[in-house]
Amino acid sequence: MTKAWFAVLTLLYLDLSMRVGTAPVCAYGQAGCHVPALADLFDRVIQQSSRMHGVSSDLHSESDQYFLPSRNLIGKRKCHTYGIRTPDDKENAQRLGPEQLIEVILSLLGAWDDPLSQFYRSISQDQNQDFNHYSSNKAMEISDMVHDLRDGVAKMADKMKLSGVLGNAANYISPESSVSFYKRGELNSVDHHDLLLCFHRDADKIKNYLRVLKCTTLPGLDC
Amino acid sequence: MLNTGHDLVATLSSDVSTEAEIEESDRWYQRFVGGAMMTNVWEAVVLLLLPFLAPNAEGTQYSPPGKPALTRCRSPEKETFTCWWEPGSDGGLSTTYALYYRKENSETVYECPDYHTAGENSCFFNKNDTSIWVNYNITVVATNALGSSFSDPVDIDVVYIVKPNPPEELNVTIMEDKGWPYLRVSWKPPQKADTRSGWITLIYELRVKLEGEDDWEMHLAGQQKMFNIFSLRSGGSYHVQVRCKPDHGFWSEWSSADYIKVPDYFHREKSMWILITVFSTFIFLIFMCFLHMNSNRSLKYYILPPIPGPKIKGFDKQLLKNGKSDEIFCALVVPDFPPTTSSKCENLMVEYLEVYVSEEQELILEESKELHNSLKCEGSTSDNDSGRGSCDSHTLLMDKCGEAKGDERQTDGEGHPMEMEAQMHQRDWKEGTLSSAYQDIVSPDMSSGRVKTWPSVFSPLHQCGSTSLNQMNSLAMAKQHCLSDNLSPPGSASSFLPQSGRSTTETHRPNYCEFYSSDKQLSSPKPQAQTHRKLQAHSDINISHKQAGLQSPALRPTEYVEVQRVNKEDMVLLQPVESGCVCGDGCPQVCQDYSKVKGLNSDNMLLLHRDVMEGEEVRSHCEKQETNGCITSHITPATQKPTDCIPTVTPIVQKEMGLAVSGYVDTAAMLTLPTH
Repeated sequence: MTKAWFAVLTLLYLDLSMRVGTAPVCAYGQAGCHVPALADLFDRVIQQSSRMHGVSSDLHSESDQYFLPSRNLIGKRKCHTYGIRTPDDKENAQRLGPEQLIEVILSLLGAWDDPLSQFYRSISQDQNQDFNHYSSNKAMEISDMVHDLRDGVAKMADKMKLSGVLGNAANYISPESSVSFYKRGELNSVDHHDLLLCFHRDADKIKNYLRVLKCTTLPGLDC
Repeated sequence: MLNTGHDLVATLSSDVSTEAEIEESDRWYQRFVGGAMMTNVWEAVVLLLLPFLAPNAEGTQYSPPGKPALTRCRSPEKETFTCWWEPGSDGGLSTTYALYYRKENSETVYECPDYHTAGENSCFFNKNDTSIWVNYNITVVATNALGSSFSDPVDIDVVYIVKPNPPEELNVTIMEDKGWPYLRVSWKPPQKADTRSGWITLIYELRVKLEGEDDWEMHLAGQQKMFNIFSLRSGGSYHVQVRCKPDHGFWSEWSSADYIKVPDYFHREKSMWILITVFSTFIFLIFMCFLHMNSNRSLKYYILPPIPGPKIKGFDKQLLKNGKSDEIFCALVVPDFPPTTSSKCENLMVEYLEVYVSEEQELILEESKELHNSLKCEGSTSDNDSGRGSCDSHTLLMDKCGEAKGDERQTDGEGHPMEMEAQMHQRDWKEGTLSSAYQDIVSPDMSSGRVKTWPSVFSPLHQCGSTSLNQMNSLAMAKQHCLSDNLSPPGSASSFLPQSGRSTTETHRPNYCEFYSSDKQLSSPKPQAQTHRKLQAHSDINISHKQAGLQSPALRPTEYVEVQRVNKEDMVLLQPVESGCVCGDGCPQVCQDYSKVKGLNSDNMLLLHRDVMEGEEVRSHCEKQETNGCITSHITPATQKPTDCIPTVTPIVQKEMGLAVSGYVDTAAMLTLPTH
């Protein structure tokens, strides 16, 4: 009888002592845990945004070759992200504050996820061969980039919240209007051009906002 | 991004414009005109009426203004921007310019807020009027009294027209890194560009050049504001400039140059240059020495003197390489030595010495005959370098020392057929002791007391040439002479023994072989011939003497007879060579005189070649011998120049004398006829 009790107690003890607790790794920045610093995160995000912008520039300039240079956006169509209020000068951007800035960034990134996929699909099935194979690869690449950047910015935002830089009030909601903008049917060449032009601009905005965000939150050597 | 876009004015536009565009342009125009009219009604009226009011007497043609053109728009910091235009012709009237712009997705037309800040024909947009990431549609209108003209609209986005100011506060200093200096360049971004907030990001580029040069060295510095430049020239003066550019935009102008002078650290460089100079000079000198060596023979010879080759007359290296000894020895036989019969020597009687020989010996004899024939009359001018022995030479040689006479050397050529022949000839040649020597040579079972002769020297000669019978005969005669009476030639009494005119053997002491050059045989008494004629050697006497003298000691199989000397009377003193006394007197000194035998004349005279060493007194170390019968060869004074061609040289003599190119005279060799 005592042996059984002893066995049970022993097992209980082992169970309790050896219980493996599950916890997110490096959730709270424990010592010895290799968590990328916020500055590193910023650098990575900014690099990614620069890359994204570069690809968008290539695509845009390429599409310009196929279109009449005189073509302009004014009066024709607006970018589908026009609904997102973005600061258009420095003062406005600085006035926004980091939280809102992140919100804008994330909104923009979220707004481009679907249209780029749609663009890529349209490119792949393009009968007119407006874009060569190289462009289609870039289109696929850019959609992934946008997605990755969005995740990265989100993570960075979380990091900032943890660091106390960001208030917890920042909650981003992806606007719905962006999704419906390109809902109709297939995109034609004009749509391609406009899309690329709009995206090129938005990529620049994102990049700029991120930099402003970095220098606002982490004033360092680069700023 | 200035795109030339279509003209808003429908009349001026050539591009395809949609209805909306036309409508828009009309609206724009109406607005403009309306505005213009509202503000300058009277002015417009005046302008319109002016052409009618003013006479055209002056001839000036007033016209509406020309079409202006927007040249560029620039933003220095992405917060403001400025646009410049180029006015067209003013048409002779005062023209005003106005800039109108429209923002993206807006119908409102605005006019330029500031025409002055940026200067003439410019429009400055301040911060309030500037929106980034917004398309501006800008048009310039030129207006004068007669009309107005619109420029082509231009679409711009401020983001893409940023051209910052050059960087400021360029500072260049010299730093040192382990003794080597380098430049540290630092600068500040332009004041207006707000890089601190991250609104604008600039990348920098600097350029460096040495003072006085034209080429700049560019360096891209990225976003950093500091840069190091290495590899400086000592003592040089550098100009440094820097400029910047935003991500998408234009490069700024170059900043003002900053000058810096690098201090002289040239002692390091100088030592290196000194080292390089010394090294190159050294190489240059070596090169010149090499060239000099190639061109200058003496220097080369100084460093690498040529190895003297053998100066043996007739010595042929190629034959030596071939390895045929016969050919080598044949080559050694100089045509003029041993002297063979020539015109002058024809009179020299050379008789064959007929020797009765056995069959085998006969064969050798036949060959020896050829050797006899090969004896030439001309004197054998042996090579000066060829092994000339001195007078002290052990063997008897034909050299300048004197006339050689029948030297007898130790022979060993038993096995050689030629040697056999030589031995045979020797045998024939020598009577008595000689004959015994023959026997000794030819047949090894000869009794002691014989003097062996040296046949081997002649053996190569034997093959070389052919001798005339005369030579043979003369040689034979010479042999005969040398045959001592005392010696009993076993079987030497061959039928070939000629009867010479005089048997000198009998008249002379038997100790020496005497070689006489028969006078009658001389037809053309040339000094050489005379020499030959006069030369007489009495080897037989010598041998006999020797024989006599050496009665007590058993004669060794091989003994030498060598020339003692040549006395004043040109007599060659021969004496048998022995380890001990030669003349039986125990003469301590062994004369080692060599003389070259030129040949043997018909009188069985051994013709010795007397070299330039005339008058040299062969030391007669054996006076006694002389008195005792050392017979010297008589050489007439006329024949003081034995270097001349010996007219008659008997092959026998030659053989017996061991005539060879080397000049050695060997009695044994005399037996074999040297063949030339």
